[in-house]
Amino acid sequence: MSSDAMAIHQGTDVGSRPWVETLHGWVTTVDHKRLGILYILYALLFLAVAGSEAMIIRIQLMYPHNSFVSPQVFNRIFTMHGTTMVFFVGIPVLFGLANYLVPLMIGARDMAFPRLNAFSFWLTALGGFLLYFSFLGGSGLYGAGNAPDVGWWAYAPLTSRAFSPGHSSDYWTISLLVAGFGSIGTAINIIATILCMRCPGMKLSRMPLLVWLNLVVSGMVLIAITPLSAAQIMLCVDRYLGGHFFDTQAGGSAALWMHFFWIFGHPEVYILILPAFAVLSEVIPVFSRKPMFGYPVMVGATIAIGFISMSVWAHHMFSIGMSSYGNAFFVLTTMAIAVPTGIKIFNWLGTMWGGRIIFKTPMLFCIGFLFNFLIAGLTGIMLGSAAFNWQLTGSYFVVAHFHYTLSGSFLFGIFAAFYYWHPKITGRMLGERLGKLHFWLFFIGFHVCFDLMHIPGLLGMARRIYTYEPGRGWDTLNLLISIGAFIQGIATLIFVANLIISYFKGAKAGNDPWDAWTLEWSVSSPPPAYNFASIPTVASRRPLWDLKHPEDPDSRYE
Amino acid sequence: MAMLLPTEHIEQSSRVPREIEVPASTAWPLVLALGFTLMFAGLLTSASVSVLGAVLAIAGCVGWFREVFPHEHEEIVQVVPEDLSVTTERRLVERLPVAPEQVRAWLPLETYPISAGVKGGLAGSVAMAVLACLYGLLKTGSIWYPINLLAAVVYAPSEVPSAAELNSFHGGIFLIAVLLHLVTSTLVGLLYGAMLPMFAHRPIVLGGLIGPVLWSGLLYSIMGILNPTLGSHIDWVWFVASQVAFGVVAGIVVMRQSRVPTRENVPFALRAGIEAPGVMPPRENGEKRP
Repeated sequence: MSSDAMAIHQGTDVGSRPWVETLHGWVTTVDHKRLGILYILYALLFLAVAGSEAMIIRIQLMYPHNSFVSPQVFNRIFTMHGTTMVFFVGIPVLFGLANYLVPLMIGARDMAFPRLNAFSFWLTALGGFLLYFSFLGGSGLYGAGNAPDVGWWAYAPLTSRAFSPGHSSDYWTISLLVAGFGSIGTAINIIATILCMRCPGMKLSRMPLLVWLNLVVSGMVLIAITPLSAAQIMLCVDRYLGGHFFDTQAGGSAALWMHFFWIFGHPEVYILILPAFAVLSEVIPVFSRKPMFGYPVMVGATIAIGFISMSVWAHHMFSIGMSSYGNAFFVLTTMAIAVPTGIKIFNWLGTMWGGRIIFKTPMLFCIGFLFNFLIAGLTGIMLGSAAFNWQLTGSYFVVAHFHYTLSGSFLFGIFAAFYYWHPKITGRMLGERLGKLHFWLFFIGFHVCFDLMHIPGLLGMARRIYTYEPGRGWDTLNLLISIGAFIQGIATLIFVANLIISYFKGAKAGNDPWDAWTLEWSVSSPPPAYNFASIPTVASRRPLWDLKHPEDPDSRYE
Repeated sequence: MAMLLPTEHIEQSSRVPREIEVPASTAWPLVLALGFTLMFAGLLTSASVSVLGAVLAIAGCVGWFREVFPHEHEEIVQVVPEDLSVTTERRLVERLPVAPEQVRAWLPLETYPISAGVKGGLAGSVAMAVLACLYGLLKTGSIWYPINLLAAVVYAPSEVPSAAELNSFHGGIFLIAVLLHLVTSTLVGLLYGAMLPMFAHRPIVLGGLIGPVLWSGLLYSIMGILNPTLGSHIDWVWFVASQVAFGVVAGIVVMRQSRVPTRENVPFALRAGIEAPGVMPPRENGEKRP
């Protein structure tokens, strides 16, 4: 024992603590589980904010010539919605789940660098708060507005001083820069934890797929965030020091920003979707009562996605006029990434095939994911073809496609994760009836909203449009799309109600409510501060199966 | 696997400690993060904010440093005895009736060797060449027409050969076409062989239907880049027919080969042909492997 160690008692009744002490405990924590919960709560807070912004967008577009908000406010709202969802909902929730689950799943007591973990979380959190402080502090010079209004891509020259006076764009740049450093810290921590802190017997070939996918995602974060950070520093040089990196009138290049942004931006899509894949790879086997079909191929497909996703970025830029060789390369790589992704879908279906499927809420969200992601992938392949892309880029078809990916797939995966691991995190089950109501309302609302959204895109409705003329065939569709969005909002409120009700009145979960097979289910719910009283030793990919079925353990065959 | 012991056993077990050290809570990472953020926020507000941020960042660095040097601060958490048991109510394990004689089976139980795919690919290349030459004879009266078209992959896009050139024999071009055809057929055969375990019982379906459809679809999308000359002259009906002929012949050749047991469950060292003693780890029960 270290001389600087001090004793605390696990059995202390925390309910009797003063709230200030409780708050202090959370603010100063370096425990991976508490930081994971903080990440998740932070993401939920911003999900509510970004969801509200989405509602404002849909109210504005509900009718032609609507003026629910001004054009200036509309620009800020869609910018903040996109930025928030990607950087302050997507990334924190994936890091939250990774923080909470990875050490438990590999039989470790904490992350490799607990203090770096806390530092990274607070950087991410403060980055988000700094971005939203722009609503108060970003008024800048003469009519420059407050919150950023340049879209979540912040294309040059919109971000130049001439078109974005004041500090609104600087808030976007600097808050993401700060949050980006936090992401890099967490990614390093996850990689180090997975590579160095696995329990005895937990070979790479025995790691749960969730851990594998988080390893790949963290590597991608390191590679993808750095060019974005570099570009943001260059943008700061342009805006503060008179640099000309992106100033086309002084020898700079607007396309350079595009390349920097999308070399981050497209891997970012996979950074967000791979953790949802990870959730499916844990939930589907448990609720199909079968081991994962094709585990080595799933690992290989994940690594392949990680590599290929780094080479597809310019399919966002077909319309800027690249050479035919450039177009052909990015078309081919975009098509190629469908192969490992398709392998994953087949393997999930292969896992379900012949299984005794239990249609609990986590599984429903996983099945919904499969359905949505297939369509998202198909429209992605369509948009990955340069000729098709030239026709529909910048239209609502693209908006529908990426919401199919991020809402229909990423959010469905995350909701599955909430329902699956909530009992482990809180010790209480989420209500099944409310859960199913949440699922069906969200599923229906999603399809009313985003299925129909493809059509105005095909009819020529441009993305980010403030309002539109009546009689173009968009009116009824936009009304229905907005209704679909409201249904999703109601479903999300039901989810929040379920969280609150179950926190106080939920059924006790026990340590293993799903009869699952990975290590986190071997400890109490919620787990103690030290995770494992004794460090476990594993002999197969399903250590709890081995314990539950000693007559037929996996370890005999792996 | 972790020994998840009931309460009464915890006291007895030497493997379960009474207390465990975990990293101590600290505010310094938060202070450093706040300082770091404020340093940047000063660019948006006032220089004084950056100065405050710098002060906090320095304090955070020093505090953090002292947190881990000379000794890392830790807290001691007492282990709470828990009566946890890892059990299941689903004791019955149902097995899919695919290999009833085995408790666990790696499917397929038997498949064709990869070399069968290569042989099939080479045989298929002959069938494809025959069909392509037949097409040349019927369309232009020359068997050299499809051969010259295939070799056109080496031409620059600007060099479009005339009809007469396409219908006549050129020694160098012929060698290029034969080489291209054999190399591609061998590689496709290799891929076919690698994919055979997926359709171990129906190699002709894989080779004669699924393969041609996928391969033709791929080539349809990239032919304009790969071989613009062939792309502009191609007859897709004949092209797909030649792919099907390739696949069917390859499938028939594969079916004439003898199957071998799949070795997915065999350790890599054994599959790689390494026979040195000690390469294989002992079994879980301690028994040494050969």
